[in-house]
Amino acid sequence: MTLAYDFQWSFIWENHSLLLQALWRTLEISLIAIAGSAVIGIVLGAARAARIPVVSQLTAVYVEVIRNTPILVQIFFIFFALPEIGITLPQFTAAWFSLMLWGGAFSVENFRAGFEAVPHEYREAGLALGFSRLRTFIHVTLPIGGRIALPASINTFSSVLKNSAIVGPAVAYGELTHTSFRILEATGRTFEIFFVLGVFYLVLVWSLSALIRLLEARLALPEEAR
Amino acid sequence: MLAFLPSWVDPVAEYMFKEGLKLTLQIAAVAVAGSAVVGIVLGTLLTIRWWPLRAVIRVYVEIWRGLPIIVTIFLIFFALPTLGIKLDAWLAGAIGLALWGSAQVAEATRGAVQSIPSEQHEAAAALGFGWAGRHVFVIVPQASRRLMPPLVSLLVNVIQNTTLVLLIGVGELLATGQRETETLQAPPPIGVGDAHALAIYGAVAIVFFVISFPLTRLAAYLERRLV
Repeated sequence: MTLAYDFQWSFIWENHSLLLQALWRTLEISLIAIAGSAVIGIVLGAARAARIPVVSQLTAVYVEVIRNTPILVQIFFIFFALPEIGITLPQFTAAWFSLMLWGGAFSVENFRAGFEAVPHEYREAGLALGFSRLRTFIHVTLPIGGRIALPASINTFSSVLKNSAIVGPAVAYGELTHTSFRILEATGRTFEIFFVLGVFYLVLVWSLSALIRLLEARLALPEEAR
Repeated sequence: MLAFLPSWVDPVAEYMFKEGLKLTLQIAAVAVAGSAVVGIVLGTLLTIRWWPLRAVIRVYVEIWRGLPIIVTIFLIFFALPTLGIKLDAWLAGAIGLALWGSAQVAEATRGAVQSIPSEQHEAAAALGFGWAGRHVFVIVPQASRRLMPPLVSLLVNVIQNTTLVLLIGVGELLATGQRETETLQAPPPIGVGDAHALAIYGAVAIVFFVISFPLTRLAAYLERRLV
């Protein structure tokens, strides 16, 4: 059997500047969102673990709403429904903001579990040494609990990166996936474009998880601290 | 139906439920069934000694877990037809979801099967079961208890990710909502000339929440019961 389709790959080089720009945009919105969701996760996760009244309950609502609704619905809500009440976000902002909002909710759960896994004797020792509650958190709970939360965060952060492929086409922001449709319209090389797109994401996702695993190994607690 | 609501609501809600929600549930059912069957078989095979087969399955798992689901769906829907394989859009979506889901289930199954003590294998072998019989009748049924929480979480994830097929033009719940939003925005007599995106997307979010929330609670409950 011979394939009637004649594969051509030259369009990749011809469009390399467009592809590189798209790659940069994917990285940009993903990294902003990952950094933002780590901050949200640490701050609100600490509030959940410490059971700070009101903040803790509001955080629980935020987490449940995000975890139990599809990210595409969240994106539509932010990009198409918010303008109705006067909030219009540019595509770039809507893209990283919706990714961050999603990743933040999952990070809260990761970090809450991490902080709650720190033995309470450690915290009590910190307080007994005269550290304030905030100082105890920064010097005791965060370094230990943050490490415990790292493996779960690998999944969350690589999901944020993967979800950028949903946000792009949804709000027409020219990251990798949306750009591949533009190249498709211009060249018609359907198979090659989606093949290349897949390779790009696999390389990105696998490098990101390798990077975080490396970080995890570097940060591993010395055995006696456990 | 509900007299206190504005008159545009009734036909919109009817269309979204009868067409959209039906397709959402249909895609989710096919994808979850496919994920469970393929995932449990592959996950069990991941525990065998013969490494070449393990390597092949490992590649399958890492690829479909590493790709964004939407890119997998685009590959199936847009790229496969150039190789002569053409599928209905909803089916392409369901298969894309099942490839991702089966990779998740395979990983969970491997862990669950490995958690069964070796005495169970030995006892079953002593009773004359071969590898297949041992796993089908003795090991996997015991592992299934541990498999329940990840399967329920998978169900939630698959239901939510069915919305992605909107991007290949399938009229599931969110897509029917989008169509209605655009129609309503048109001036009369086609629409009402008003924007109702907030109400419609809000309603879509609530429907997904009402379906997903009890399931995430159930998954957490099953998880707690295991420990």
